[in-house]
Amino acid sequence: MNSDSCSSIQCSHCQLPVGKGEFFREVEGEIHRFCCYGCCLAYQVHRGAREEPEAAWLLIRLGVGAFLAMNIMLFSLLLYSGSLGVADGYLIQGVHVLLWILATPVLLILGGPFIYNACRQALHGRVTADALVSIGALAAYGYSALQVIAAGEVVYFDTATMVLVLFTLGRYIEAMGRVRTARSLAPMLEAERATATVVAGGQDHEQFVTRVRPGMVVRVRPGERVPVDGMVTEGRSACNEAVLTGQSEEKLKVPGSAVHAGSINANGQLLIRASVPGADTQWMRMSRQIREMLGHQSLAGALVDRIAALFVPAVLLLAIGTVYYWSGYTAFEQAMMAGVAVLVVACPCALGLAAPLATAIGLGRAAQHGILIRGGRILERLGQIRAVAFDKTGTLTTGNLEVVGATAIDGNQQGLLERSAGLAHGSEHPIARAIQHYVHDRGVIPTPGIELEAHPGQGMTGVLDGALTAMGSENYMVGLGCSIPALLVEKVAANKCGCTLVYVGWDHQVRGLLELSDAPKAGARTMIQALHLAGIETCLLSGDNEPAVTRTAHLLGIQEWRAGLLPVDKVAALKVWERRHGSVAMVGDGLNDGPVLANASVGIAVGEASDLARETADITLPKAALGQLPGLIQLAHRVRKVVLTNAGWALGYNLVALGLAAQGLLLPIIAAALMAGSSLMVVANSLRAGRESATPVSDNDAFYLQSH
Amino acid sequence: MTRYLLIFLAGFAGSLHCVGMCGGFACAMGPGRGHMATVLRHLSYNIGRVVTYCFMGALVGYLGAQIIHGWEETSLAIAQRMLAFVSGALMILIGLQFFGIFQRLNQGAGVGGQLFIQALRDLLKHPSPFAPLAFGVINGFLPCPLVFAFVIQASASGDPLSGFLIMAALGLGTLPAMFLMGGLGARFRSKPRQVNEPAVSVRLFKGHDTGLWQWPNWRLQGVRIAGVFIILLGLITIGRGVLPIGTHIHIL
Repeated sequence: MNSDSCSSIQCSHCQLPVGKGEFFREVEGEIHRFCCYGCCLAYQVHRGAREEPEAAWLLIRLGVGAFLAMNIMLFSLLLYSGSLGVADGYLIQGVHVLLWILATPVLLILGGPFIYNACRQALHGRVTADALVSIGALAAYGYSALQVIAAGEVVYFDTATMVLVLFTLGRYIEAMGRVRTARSLAPMLEAERATATVVAGGQDHEQFVTRVRPGMVVRVRPGERVPVDGMVTEGRSACNEAVLTGQSEEKLKVPGSAVHAGSINANGQLLIRASVPGADTQWMRMSRQIREMLGHQSLAGALVDRIAALFVPAVLLLAIGTVYYWSGYTAFEQAMMAGVAVLVVACPCALGLAAPLATAIGLGRAAQHGILIRGGRILERLGQIRAVAFDKTGTLTTGNLEVVGATAIDGNQQGLLERSAGLAHGSEHPIARAIQHYVHDRGVIPTPGIELEAHPGQGMTGVLDGALTAMGSENYMVGLGCSIPALLVEKVAANKCGCTLVYVGWDHQVRGLLELSDAPKAGARTMIQALHLAGIETCLLSGDNEPAVTRTAHLLGIQEWRAGLLPVDKVAALKVWERRHGSVAMVGDGLNDGPVLANASVGIAVGEASDLARETADITLPKAALGQLPGLIQLAHRVRKVVLTNAGWALGYNLVALGLAAQGLLLPIIAAALMAGSSLMVVANSLRAGRESATPVSDNDAFYLQSH
Repeated sequence: MTRYLLIFLAGFAGSLHCVGMCGGFACAMGPGRGHMATVLRHLSYNIGRVVTYCFMGALVGYLGAQIIHGWEETSLAIAQRMLAFVSGALMILIGLQFFGIFQRLNQGAGVGGQLFIQALRDLLKHPSPFAPLAFGVINGFLPCPLVFAFVIQASASGDPLSGFLIMAALGLGTLPAMFLMGGLGARFRSKPRQVNEPAVSVRLFKGHDTGLWQWPNWRLQGVRIAGVFIILLGLITIGRGVLPIGTHIHIL
């Protein structure tokens, strides 16, 4: 490669210089240059893995069928245009026989599956779309065969075969749409084929993960996926749990740590004792659910079947009517072609694809962020909600106390904090810890103390700087003989925040007050704002006291709240709110909100997915993923929109085409080509939905990180 | 007949482009069980490919005829001329692309393109004796500038028979090189291919230090010759559109 022309940039595929018109394309993360689009496609054929052997067989049938059909079409075109010498009747008969010979294998290899399915369904008393295709193709074929025998002038083998080719192409596009969806969700679907290395009797046995029972010990080598939910018994390693939690940082697992199926073991070998049967892990359930969605043949299963049960016979009648009507005006062949066009174009293939692909993608995208949605219907309902009600403690707030205010009588807050921190040092109580955090964050050095003593449920004492210092509830301080200054009493009377109050005093005098409260989670405010921006109403339903709930609602910017609700009251409050806003989603921690979650249109439980395995919530949101709620709702809206667009497109398209066909304005071959195009549109639309919806969720994350 | 000979030659020269683009497929198709099976595999691959070309030729010829005859009798000649002019211009544009002169349209590999890639990938190494035929049929639809140029020529002919013959001539022109690639592929398949290694077709002729094996240069020249043929045919087609009716271009 020493010549000048070769030293210029070469096409990644054919290695010819790309010239000025180079063509960039990213393949597997690398930028490649191609000299033409064909080379770009050809290059990608050689990369990437082969898969789906069934698809290959469908393709071979399609290719061979297309080969024969193209030959038939070629000859037919030559016949139509008169290139084969119309005058020579003898030759034409010969060509007709040749076409018959070519068409018969096409009818067998491509028409066979359609006819077989149609017959099988007919035995169960159902007339399906396959019947329409079969009747259309058989009518054209049968009529043409009779014409050949009767030495007639016109044959329609091209129509019969091309319709079959194009419909098989449509089926292939559908199948590949499912395959591509499945591939984009591969980590989730891997569970089905997963195997585990079970250690028993000092030996390793490889077996399917579904056969793993609780108590079995499983060996996980570096780089492998953990196949079971369980506990580490031996070894140390970092695990990436992105498939379950959506967070890609690795967590160190040591003996005693809980590990979840689906996470990737990074660097060390682990022995894990399974805690649930291999078929019941979270990962496996997600996988099953997505697979079920992908397998769905139709919009809503039974519904479409019911429609088809009426629709298909109606189309058959319409086709017969069309033939009858047109045969009164034109030649019988043309009338028959109009009838075949009606049969072909009425086939509601794209309709069956309208929902499953987009829904499966939606479920998968959510699962990639650790969000488990129990079924496509839930996603659909979530797409309809206009309002979200929240539980407070543990859902919007951390559930841990935080110091939210400190008041010193003499104005020396620093001194107050130094002493309270010095006392708190001697305790592991949540309040003491909250004070330690607060003080540490402000860089205050605790006063060293001696004789620190804690009185559980009341307070604690110690000697700091030679003075007896105490910290605790009002009663405790009074019991120690401390007097409470009037200023503080006023302040306490004005306390509307519902905070926990801790008095701090020394030398028999209360010197100050710390206010502690349950703090909102980082990002909760941003999340609520994002919901409001998306036009979704929010509301707080809490069992906590009024001041505390009011304070949280103000902090988070929530306009409506109800406090002091028992679980039963929450259900009633939710019902009231639902009447005003239509369907409402309820977000709770899933533990004490069971009834209200079950009564909401969509119940969303926040918490570690593994803890909630037994819960009945419709959606499980990992604690860390609360910020993704707006993204999730957006995703649901988008999926719903795509499903509706798809269904509208498929139905409208069919109806318009049906009208044209009945008027004899549509050739059957063109009708079939339109149907294949329709399937392609629906697949493309569904896949696009997945790509678009991936963005808002991650954008949300970025937003979330920036503001905190 | 001269016209078809010209197209055959264009196909023959242009097949040096095929060697780069589709030669890898021919190589990867691999040997069958036994010598005859190998020959059959490559024969059916190439027949599939050429039949697709012929089908496209006849189809666009037919469509061209429909366009022309869709006009009123009086403006028929004008329609024919317009079709010829547009087709000729497009052919020249494509021909010039072989010299790297024009910016190519950056088509997106949408779902259609991805399905196409997947289909070829699934079929390429399938052991079934029918797989090469199916592969050839689909391969024939791969968007290749050479094929594009002659599909346009076929549509300008305004006649299914001419369209068929144009594409058949092109297809036959590409046969020798593609067969050769298949044979070479079968011979050199002993060594498994590395992930980022170019196809056998390219590797074989990547004339390292020996001046004799400056194959990319040869191929480049061949591709340019094909470009010249296409431009020439494009000019003639345009000529049919603009020259006075009495003018007769001999080779057409």
